[in-house]
Amino acid sequence: MSKFNFPSIEETNDLSELRKDVRSFITNSLNDKEFEPAADAWVFSASPQFSKKLGSMGWLGMSFPKKYGGNQRTALERYVVTEELLASGAPVAAHWIADRQSGSQILRYGSEEQKKSIIPKITSGECFFAIGMSEPDSGSDLASVKTKATKIENGWNLEGRKIWSTGAHLSNYMIVLARTSPASEKNRHEGLSQFLVDLSLPNVSVKGIPDMTGQRHFNETLFDNVILSEDALLGVEGKGWSQVVGELALERSGPERFLSHFTLLESFINEFKDILIKSGSKLIGKLIAELQTLRRMSFSIASMLQNGESPETQAAFVKELGNKFEKMMVETLREFSNIIPLYEWPSQLQNLFEDATLRIPSNSLRGGTTEIMRGIIARQLGLR
Amino acid sequence: MNEELGIILETTSKILSKHVNHKLRQNVDNENPDLANLWTEVEQLGLPKIAVKDKFNGSGLPLSSTLPIIKLSNNIGTPIPLSETILSNYILSESEINPPNGIITYAIDAKDLKIIGNEISGDLISVPYLNLTDKIIFITEIDNSKQVILVKSNTEEKELKKNFLSEPRYNLKLKKCKILDIKPLNLSINFKYLGAIVRSAQMIGAMEKILDLCIDYCSQRKQFGRALSKFQAIQHQISEMAVELAASSAALSTITNSEVFYKNNKDIAILKIRAGSAAGKIIAISHQVHGAIGFTQEYELAYFTRNLNSWRNDFGNESYWEDFIGKDFLEKNNKNLWEYLT
Repeated sequence: MSKFNFPSIEETNDLSELRKDVRSFITNSLNDKEFEPAADAWVFSASPQFSKKLGSMGWLGMSFPKKYGGNQRTALERYVVTEELLASGAPVAAHWIADRQSGSQILRYGSEEQKKSIIPKITSGECFFAIGMSEPDSGSDLASVKTKATKIENGWNLEGRKIWSTGAHLSNYMIVLARTSPASEKNRHEGLSQFLVDLSLPNVSVKGIPDMTGQRHFNETLFDNVILSEDALLGVEGKGWSQVVGELALERSGPERFLSHFTLLESFINEFKDILIKSGSKLIGKLIAELQTLRRMSFSIASMLQNGESPETQAAFVKELGNKFEKMMVETLREFSNIIPLYEWPSQLQNLFEDATLRIPSNSLRGGTTEIMRGIIARQLGLR
Repeated sequence: MNEELGIILETTSKILSKHVNHKLRQNVDNENPDLANLWTEVEQLGLPKIAVKDKFNGSGLPLSSTLPIIKLSNNIGTPIPLSETILSNYILSESEINPPNGIITYAIDAKDLKIIGNEISGDLISVPYLNLTDKIIFITEIDNSKQVILVKSNTEEKELKKNFLSEPRYNLKLKKCKILDIKPLNLSINFKYLGAIVRSAQMIGAMEKILDLCIDYCSQRKQFGRALSKFQAIQHQISEMAVELAASSAALSTITNSEVFYKNNKDIAILKIRAGSAAGKIIAISHQVHGAIGFTQEYELAYFTRNLNSWRNDFGNESYWEDFIGKDFLEKNNKNLWEYLT
């Protein structure tokens, strides 16, 4: 089990200072009514203006090198900033994917020109990304993607469709996983490649899919023979699988896996503190213990990323545990409505609760299902 | 982890593995289990006094550094009161009492104590391993000041309170028992908190072993023509155990990596909650995937799960600590939750 250690990392004074700065920035934004705290804000609450403002504070693309307009700060600093934004329910959806994973993929695998043209815009909060992994017939079984890129003179022809692409309707680019050669019989992971696709190109169409809450955040994105230039290939042709696995470690380990509905918990406690003191301290204590453990684990992963490690399995631990925590939290609050009926809750709190209840099933689907997380862990344990 | 500790861990592992087998564990309830050789070597390594001050011939390691050793000992399933002796000796040493040699244990609780002159009477509750030693420490309050008391019990007055959950455990009636030493308790932290930390480290050691047992068993045992480990239903159950264990270990590393762990009661509460709730899940799943063999005395799984059952109840169960931390947040400060957490 030693390989699944999560070394304890202390928050230094510098990080605490940064935390304070972000917090007072958020307080000011709230006072100026720039946003309304939302549940699941990193998926549902997009504000390009707010993203741009964060960019001007130097809080996007934080760990990107200065050479490409980045801020060259640590993964731990980025962790602190994202935590503060999530905890306040700030509208971070527009830039979330670009800042979390796409920028890093480009820095790792992109051409010099791509780095120079795209990274500064991600950092300033003016360039947004969507994920191009799932397809109508490829969900958990990502290696079965059918979207195809064929080599043509001076570039590639892209044909296929991606689905559940959160925020594609607001995004400038999508990193698309596509087949560039047939899967070998022995290894299905061969022959996949990643492409950096400009969503404003001809023959790209983005169509919204209303989710069960009636909102539109995810989409179906159709690539109907889209002509891509040669340098749209991201990284190495045929090595898309290992590239995508690295991307998923960034996607799964962050604090959004347990802070998506924190605003609900915070507002709930503030509203009912007196009653909780009398009869709810055990329930709240249980939530605090789990949340604090998750924070330590996720922070520990940020430090592994900082050290250049690839904590893919650790990320699966955090995602699995974080998903469970969020479900338990919403369930705990629901049971409390036994003491104060739901209809007597202030309307804003009711809304947050109902939003969370409706959205919670998606937390253990997006970024990989519970079944996939457990499979990854089982493989590392030597069971598969 | 520093180099010195690494060497101690390596040597300890060798020596414990050499002596410990499942037969030895099965005799631990006996009045005179044959543990003398094992204990002699453990003493030669200096483990019992590892957290005792230099001036009392100890190694002077901070208590947090002893947690990996305690964890290791219970990972191997060593049926001796090593954690009890380390903790008792630490408390004595901190309180300026020179710890005696040999095994020493503590009473988790004490009541109706009466001291007359140099003699004490009353009830000591839940004393582990009293079949191996007659030296006990316990803590009591006299005139609003906590005292640590060291006694040598009169064996005739011992009543075995069989602990079905794990190792031998006794309740004891002291009748005019001679006090060997008494001093004001000098700890920066409650005995209960220390016990909670140590028991959590023990649980994590045992849970690591249980996970390994499950992986080994399911890889070897074949049903329906293939190894159990090839069934997805089994894989997912074992993955859940690993997640529980990883979360508990993360909570422990917060304590082990901090020299001043006693300043943050919150982290101690979180550790005991996390390890205790993981233990509940791991007991259930490990028995489930083992089937009937895990329910026998002959196979070693039950030795570890029985210990977990007991340790998760010692020094406050999950509910106790959840209530503790919930109250700490709700009643003792005016911060909102996010400020409290960060």
